[in-house]
Amino acid sequence: MIRGLKWFAGAGAVVGIAFILAVPEWTAPSAAGVQLAPSPSSMILFPQGQKVEPVSQIAPAPLPPVAPSGKLASAVYKNVQVLGDVDQAEFMRLQEAITQWVAPKQGCAFCHDTNNMASDEKPQKLAARIMLSMTRTINADWSNHVAPAGVTCFTCHRGQPIPAETWFPQSPKPKKPFVSIQEPYNEAADTVRKFFPDAGWAEYYVQNENISAQSLSALPDHQVHSLLANKRIYEMMMQQSDGMGVNCGFCHNSRAFWDWSQSTPQRWTAYYAIQQIRQLNNNYLLKIADAIPMKRMRVHETFLPVIPPVEAGIVEGNGLAVCATCHYARPKPMGGADVISTYPGLVGPPAPSPQQAAEAK
Amino acid sequence: MARFHTLYTAIQVTGPLEGGAELKGSHVGTRVGTPLHSKLLGLIGETQLFPTYLGVTGTLSLICGLIAIEIIGLNFLAAVDWNVIRFIKMLPFLSIEPPPAKYGLSLFPPLAEGGWWLLAGFFLTTSILLWWVRMYRRARAIGMGTHIAWAFASAIWLYLVLGFIRPICMGSWSEAVPFGIVAHLNWTATFSVRYGNLYYDPFHMLSIVFLYGSTLLFAMHAGTILAVTPFGGERETHEIADRGTAMERAAIFWRWTMGFNANFESIHRWIYWFAILTTLTGGIGILITGTLVDNWFIWGMKHGIAPDYHVIAGRPDVLPPGYVKLPSLNTPEGFK
Repeated sequence: MIRGLKWFAGAGAVVGIAFILAVPEWTAPSAAGVQLAPSPSSMILFPQGQKVEPVSQIAPAPLPPVAPSGKLASAVYKNVQVLGDVDQAEFMRLQEAITQWVAPKQGCAFCHDTNNMASDEKPQKLAARIMLSMTRTINADWSNHVAPAGVTCFTCHRGQPIPAETWFPQSPKPKKPFVSIQEPYNEAADTVRKFFPDAGWAEYYVQNENISAQSLSALPDHQVHSLLANKRIYEMMMQQSDGMGVNCGFCHNSRAFWDWSQSTPQRWTAYYAIQQIRQLNNNYLLKIADAIPMKRMRVHETFLPVIPPVEAGIVEGNGLAVCATCHYARPKPMGGADVISTYPGLVGPPAPSPQQAAEAK
Repeated sequence: MARFHTLYTAIQVTGPLEGGAELKGSHVGTRVGTPLHSKLLGLIGETQLFPTYLGVTGTLSLICGLIAIEIIGLNFLAAVDWNVIRFIKMLPFLSIEPPPAKYGLSLFPPLAEGGWWLLAGFFLTTSILLWWVRMYRRARAIGMGTHIAWAFASAIWLYLVLGFIRPICMGSWSEAVPFGIVAHLNWTATFSVRYGNLYYDPFHMLSIVFLYGSTLLFAMHAGTILAVTPFGGERETHEIADRGTAMERAAIFWRWTMGFNANFESIHRWIYWFAILTTLTGGIGILITGTLVDNWFIWGMKHGIAPDYHVIAGRPDVLPPGYVKLPSLNTPEGFK
C-alpha cells in the first residue's frame, strides 16, 4: 500500500508541476527598475507586464500645417459653438484630425448629417461638442496635470469612437432585509480589476470626498477615522496604480502614505489629476450620459446563470473617466509625447478667475 | 535513514486496543466510540481511533461552534441568492461585517448590519471558551499538567482582543475583524494603514520575532529528533534524565555548529514559550493600537525607531491647496 502511495504522490507531483507550468499564461517580468527616491527608501518603479485593452501607445504624426485663411470658423460656418474662435483653415484641419482620432472608419457621418453639416440632429455631434469644450478646458486650466504634453481626442479615444478604458459605475445591489450586507463586488466583471468594488471610485472621482483616513498624530486625537474610508481609498488608489502601470511608491513612501514630505513630485501631479477627474466627470461626462445614454450588454450570455440578475442583461449608462481612460497603464500617456503644440485650436480660453466670474454676474 | 525523511510514519506498531486510564472521582465521564485500528491513520499518527470523551463542555462547545458556522455559511448562501455555483465563486469574498460605527457598542443592531456578526461572534466565542474548559479539565482528569490549556489561552487572548476587548475599549464594534476570507485580510491591511503602519508597533515586532522564531525552533527540534531517531532519539523525554548516544550526538551537533545547545528538556520550554509569546505580544500590540497610539509611524519617529530618509529631489515646496504643513521628517521643529 505504501509503495502504491509513493507512485500516486509522485504522479500527482508531476501532474501538478506540469499544470502550473502549462496552464497559466506566464509573462516574464522585467528586472530593470527606476529608482524614484534616494537610498535607502529607494522606491523602485518596475515596468509592469500589465495587460490593458490593446490600443496604440504611440502618438500619431500631426497633420501637415495649413496657411491661415484670415477668417474665423464662426464667420464661415453656421452653428460653430466651441471652435468659433479658430481660423477657418485650422478648423478644417482639426475636423480632419478629430475624424482620424475618434472615428477613422465611420468618417464625418459619425457625427454630422452629411446633407447639412450644421445640423445638431445626431446625438454624437452633441457629445462631440461637450467633448471639445472638455478638451479645451483641460489644456487651458489643468496644466499642472497635463503640461507640457497636453491632450487631444486621441489621448483617450486612440482611434475608437468610445475609449477602451472607461469606468461604468456598478449597479447598486438590492438590499436583503435579513442578510448581511456584502461588499459590492462586481460579479459580472471579465477581469480581476473590474471585479473589485468601485464604491471608492464613486466617492473620490465623482463626489468630492476628502482622501484622508490616517491619523496625523502619534497619540489618539479623538477624531473619527473610519476603517471603511480606508478601504474605499484603497480601492481608488489601486485604480490609480493599475491605470498608470505603477506601484504605490510612484507617489508615496509606503511607510507613511500621508506624509507629503516623503512623497515624490508625482504625488503633486496626481493630486491635480484627481481634482481634474472630478471636474470632467461632473461637468462633462455625466452631461453626455444624460444626453445620449448608451445601452449595452453587461456580460456575455454564457455566464448568465452565475451572474446575479441585477448585474446581467442590458444596462443603460455611460462610461466615466478614471486614470486608465487616458493613461492606459503608462505613467505618461503615449510616453509623454507633446500632442498639443501642433493643434492650438484645442487650447481653450482659461477659466475666468473667481473675481472675473463675479464681475460677469 | 530514508524512512525518516518521509512525510508519513514509516513504522506502524499495533497492539491490543486501549481503553484509556481508569478515571476516579467527579471527573469520571463517559467515553464514546468503539475503538479500532486504522492503517491509514497510522500513516500520520497513532493507529488507534476512539474512544473519545465529549462530556458537557465538549458537547456544548460543538453545538455552539456548529451554530456559529451555520450563521456564517447560511448568510453567505443567502447573499448569493442560494445559488451554489455563485457560492463557490464568491466564497473567498463573502463576509459578515461587524456593525457600522454608527451603532457603537449596541447589542441589537439590525441583523443585516452587524446583528449576525454579533450572533456568530457570541456563539464562536462561547464554543472556544467551552473547548478551553474541556481541555483544562481533561488534562486534570488524567493527571497531566495544564500546559496545553494555557498555550491555547494565549491564542484565545489574541482572538478576544481583536473581536471583543479592543472594540469595547474603542467604543465601537466596527473596529472588530469581519468573518470572511478576503474580508479579514482586507481588515488587516486597512487596520495597519489606518493606524499609521503596524510595522512600527514594538509589540507587533515582538510577535513577529516569536512567530518566526517558533517556526525556526520547531524545524530545528523536529529535524534533530528525526536525525537521531536511529539511535533511540524518539525516546527524548527518557533521555532528559538518562542520556544516551542519541542525546549526546544531538548535543554535539549543535555545539559544533553554534557553540551552544539546548538540552532535551529545555528545547521544549523554548518552543512552548516562543509559541505562547507570539499571540501574547501580538494581542498587546493590537490592544494598544488606537487606544493608546493612533499613528505608529509618527510614534516611531518620535521615539527614534524609524530612520530619517533623504529628501526626494524635484519636490515642490508648496503643498496643494487645502493641505496644511504636517509634522514630518524634514521639519526641523520636529514633533509636538
